[in-house]
Amino acid sequence: MEKLKKKIRSFSFWNWVIASIIFRLILIYFPKNLNLCSRPEVSTPLTSFRRLAEGYWLKQSSMSPYAGSMYHGSPLLLSLLGPLTVKRIEGQPNHLLYSLVSVIADVVSAMLIRATGQNLQVAYFGTLKSLDLVKQIELSGLVPLAAFGWVIATHLSLYPAILIIPVHLSFVLAICDLLLGYGPDAPPRKLFLQRHQQKGLSSQSKLPPGFSWGSIIHFAFWALLWSVYVLVLCGISLKQFGGLWEMFKSTYGFILTVEDLSPNVGVLWYFFAEVFEFFRNFFLIVFHVNILFMILPLAIRLHHRPCYLAFVYVAICSMLKSYPSVGDSALYLALSLPSDMQFSLFLFCGYVGVSLLSPVMHNLWIWRGTGNANFYFATAMVYACLQIVLVVEGVSAMLNHDRKLRSLILDKPRDAKS
Amino acid sequence: MAETKEKSHSDEKPKPRVRPIVRLGIFLVSHSFLVSVVCFTSGVLALFLLPVLAKNTYISENALMPGSASPMLSNHHVSDGNRLVKDLTNSNLKSSETGIESHKIIAKYMLDVGAEVSFHKFHPQMNQFHPLHFFSSPDSGKIQENCSCSSYGINTVGIIRAPRGDGKEAIVLVTPYNALTSSFGEVLSLGIAYSVFSLLTQVTWLAKDIIWLVVDSQFGEYAAVSAWLREYQTPKFSSHSTLNAEMCPDINYLFEIKVHSMAGSKFSNSFRRAGTMTAALVLKVRDQSEQFDDTVSIYAEASNGQMPNLDLINVVNYLAVHRQGLRVNVEKLWSLLNSGWLKSLGEIFESLATIAKSLNPKFKFGIPATEYVEGIATLASSLYYQALGVPTGPHGAFRDYQVDAITLEISPKFSLDKVWCSDILLRGGRLIEGVIRSVNNLLEKFHQSFFLYLLTSPSKFVSVGVYMIAFALLIAPLPMVAASLYVDANSSKGDSSFLFAITDTDEHGITIRSWRWLNSAKSVFIVHLWGAIVSLLPYFICQIPDCSPTTSFMIWVLLSILSLLILNLVLASPLACVKASQEKEWALVKSVTISSVFIGLGLMSVINFATAEIGALLMVPMCLLARPLKLDVRVGTLRSCCRIICNLVLGHIAFPPAAFFLFKGMLDGFGSANVGDFWMWVESLWAWNSATYLFIGMVQLPCWVLCVSILFHSC
Repeated sequence: MEKLKKKIRSFSFWNWVIASIIFRLILIYFPKNLNLCSRPEVSTPLTSFRRLAEGYWLKQSSMSPYAGSMYHGSPLLLSLLGPLTVKRIEGQPNHLLYSLVSVIADVVSAMLIRATGQNLQVAYFGTLKSLDLVKQIELSGLVPLAAFGWVIATHLSLYPAILIIPVHLSFVLAICDLLLGYGPDAPPRKLFLQRHQQKGLSSQSKLPPGFSWGSIIHFAFWALLWSVYVLVLCGISLKQFGGLWEMFKSTYGFILTVEDLSPNVGVLWYFFAEVFEFFRNFFLIVFHVNILFMILPLAIRLHHRPCYLAFVYVAICSMLKSYPSVGDSALYLALSLPSDMQFSLFLFCGYVGVSLLSPVMHNLWIWRGTGNANFYFATAMVYACLQIVLVVEGVSAMLNHDRKLRSLILDKPRDAKS
Repeated sequence: MAETKEKSHSDEKPKPRVRPIVRLGIFLVSHSFLVSVVCFTSGVLALFLLPVLAKNTYISENALMPGSASPMLSNHHVSDGNRLVKDLTNSNLKSSETGIESHKIIAKYMLDVGAEVSFHKFHPQMNQFHPLHFFSSPDSGKIQENCSCSSYGINTVGIIRAPRGDGKEAIVLVTPYNALTSSFGEVLSLGIAYSVFSLLTQVTWLAKDIIWLVVDSQFGEYAAVSAWLREYQTPKFSSHSTLNAEMCPDINYLFEIKVHSMAGSKFSNSFRRAGTMTAALVLKVRDQSEQFDDTVSIYAEASNGQMPNLDLINVVNYLAVHRQGLRVNVEKLWSLLNSGWLKSLGEIFESLATIAKSLNPKFKFGIPATEYVEGIATLASSLYYQALGVPTGPHGAFRDYQVDAITLEISPKFSLDKVWCSDILLRGGRLIEGVIRSVNNLLEKFHQSFFLYLLTSPSKFVSVGVYMIAFALLIAPLPMVAASLYVDANSSKGDSSFLFAITDTDEHGITIRSWRWLNSAKSVFIVHLWGAIVSLLPYFICQIPDCSPTTSFMIWVLLSILSLLILNLVLASPLACVKASQEKEWALVKSVTISSVFIGLGLMSVINFATAEIGALLMVPMCLLARPLKLDVRVGTLRSCCRIICNLVLGHIAFPPAAFFLFKGMLDGFGSANVGDFWMWVESLWAWNSATYLFIGMVQLPCWVLCVSILFHSC
């Protein structure tokens, strides 16, 4: 029976995978009608495919790819994906190859996220079932990989820079993991202490120091190495076109100064279109410091759950970043959703409603001309509110969960005694 | 609103302080029955109050200044127009070539007054069902198909370049004209347009180019106008037109003749353009009339319930009534004019208003009962035509390119003989001249006044802010009832702690309280997916050759049922076992259904308000009342009996074909009803890319299926 159920589960999982791939392929085959590559919800100035093609073309004709303020991505992407923008297959939609590559990349990342989730779940059940179970996950080999991932993500879109904290925390915890058996996402360490004390285990000596410099230095070394490597590569590819400074100015500078005010699902474009030029710098600082301000309190509160912390950071970033798209929310929604969240139906309906309403409002504003910018901005605001509710409720659900765990763990022995 | 449910849910734990807004939410959710009854009735009442709440129209854009200048159209221009009318009626006597001949005559007249003239040859495009065409931009991916040389139309275009303008803006005057079967009305409309045109070549105040488009209406006025607009707005750089000309030598030959005969003038064989269009007027003259006055009828509804800017209608109304002494008319549902209950409702409102006035003389909101009935009839037709999503005239083509346009139909008091001809020419011409002069004053495109409004009479309107209240009241119960159902279904399950469920390794065993709705959401999703499939099916059924509407409809129904069964088998089978385990499952399904209907209606109210309003009137009571019949039968009280009856009646009415036949029966009588009619109606909807079609297929039909499945739920 158990086996059958498992089979059904994996079967339905692969079903969903196939269904989603087919869905993506259908989307690829109707590029003209859906106009997905010009929809503001999907393509931002940073991720737009057409801009990439433009950048590639500029570079091919030996001009700076950043000329004309069209392309704002990494020069490495140009060499990697650029050739795909010009290759065509006769009789097929344009950019078929590129779309297929992106579909493959998405499927792979989805698989990786799933694998991470399964790891987490195993670890989670492990910690819950018997707190003494030692699950050895050899993570030390992953440090260079993690450093590479972090460097590349930061290089490509800047915001993942703040994910360094959860990464570090997870390493710190991973070290503990070797000794005590925490999962990467575990209830607070104090709990274990209390549990151990109640069990009468004198495990004080076994407890590791909470902070190990070794892993951090290890990580920092690799991060430095990788970033130097990436920068050198960029420098080589941009040698004739103004060098690295040009790249920084038109990628990070473009992200931080919110130059492109074309509408998107975020709220910044409207705000900076309305704000007086005089205050612009002030508000730029305010909005970006907003993200930085949230890092520390959250890190302190959720330091025992680095993966969850990462989810919260990604959600906050995708709310406050300068050129958000629905892809960002897809990422954090895939990362983690607490199981006992309130408002789940409300949030679900909200997401569905906003994702349907936003193209309609855009159509009303741009094509029909009966609406105006406020119509579209209204949906962007609703979307932002939904994300706020999601983050707040998610964090509070997680904290409640921890509280409940604590009360269960602390109460159980007493019940057993009485 | 929907968040209130979970807030109340979290409130089960005794918390010292609850925020006032949360408390309000809990109060509303716990009294959802009363609240929904009150909201729904007040929503319906507000709909009937709209004619009372309507405001008088006013010219919002100051630059328009209608009627500030005295009309310059004199008898001289009228005699010009008369000449054209005479020539055209004479040329009618000639046989087969008249089409070309009369276009030649018009072109010659245009050239005589010094305008640029060109012909636009087009092939009528069959309206086809493009499943993905609803939301794409108008100019994307039109398929050019090769037509035979026999079917083509010729639009004659005359352009006056403005002496004071920079050629970047234009005003369009459209007169439909079928050269083969031209009626006297059409010829007269050409005469009016020509008299205005000949005036406008001489005036000095013109700041915008004038385009006079004589559309060949043998394939329908709309098709011709939209073909011209497509050509105008999306310049083609291919040699498509020349290719066509080569393939059809006879047409080519005729064009050659023209070029020779008009050599040395401003005639050009290529497509001519002026600036961006600020406004367009379509002018028609009706042949016979039953009116007691000279009347101008205004048609404004474009596709998907879009309306032109209210200022355009205001200008026409103002000039027609106050300057030319014409009566202005907008469409009414005539059958409503004689209904007794509306009259008594109007009298009630009137008496209420008089009482209010006696209490405080400042209260002045009453309108006489007859005016009220007329207002309701106009409002109903306004709602009807907007909800249909099919444009009421060739002006609809302009709206697709964001150009404000209306159709003016002049119907003279007497049958048209030569004496009254000049009078109509003079007054109609002066009206058109005044409107053009007003629009000519515009500095920017129309933006001051409303785009979203309903007319209750030519000079009264209900703006979006007012009619949205009625709609909001109608759909306000939905989230509240959804919330209360959700809370009920969740709390009834008992408070077994979810933690113990989690420790169970089998994930399917986990029924985490806050995600239990996922199964219902899945079934609702499946039904909506089915709705999408059903709305795509006609695309394939259309391909079957030689299919009568009735058989097509039957095939459609069969395929729909088949696809529903298949979907249920393929996707919902793992669902079934879960379903059985949940006792209050129907409540969750109903809650999710109501949420989806709420989203659908809210979305539709943005796309096409009228459809959403009519849909809400049908669907909201059905959604709210749906409850398993078994439960009601078991209880057997009077209330549950009423509910059973209501459910059964609504379940029959809200089925889209049934609703259609009921509505059709009310309008034209039940005698002529035919199953194929529904197919024809649906066909016309998708031919015009009406969003109403999508609404019926993807919101109303799934909602009906879900409600029926709730009714027959075995619990």
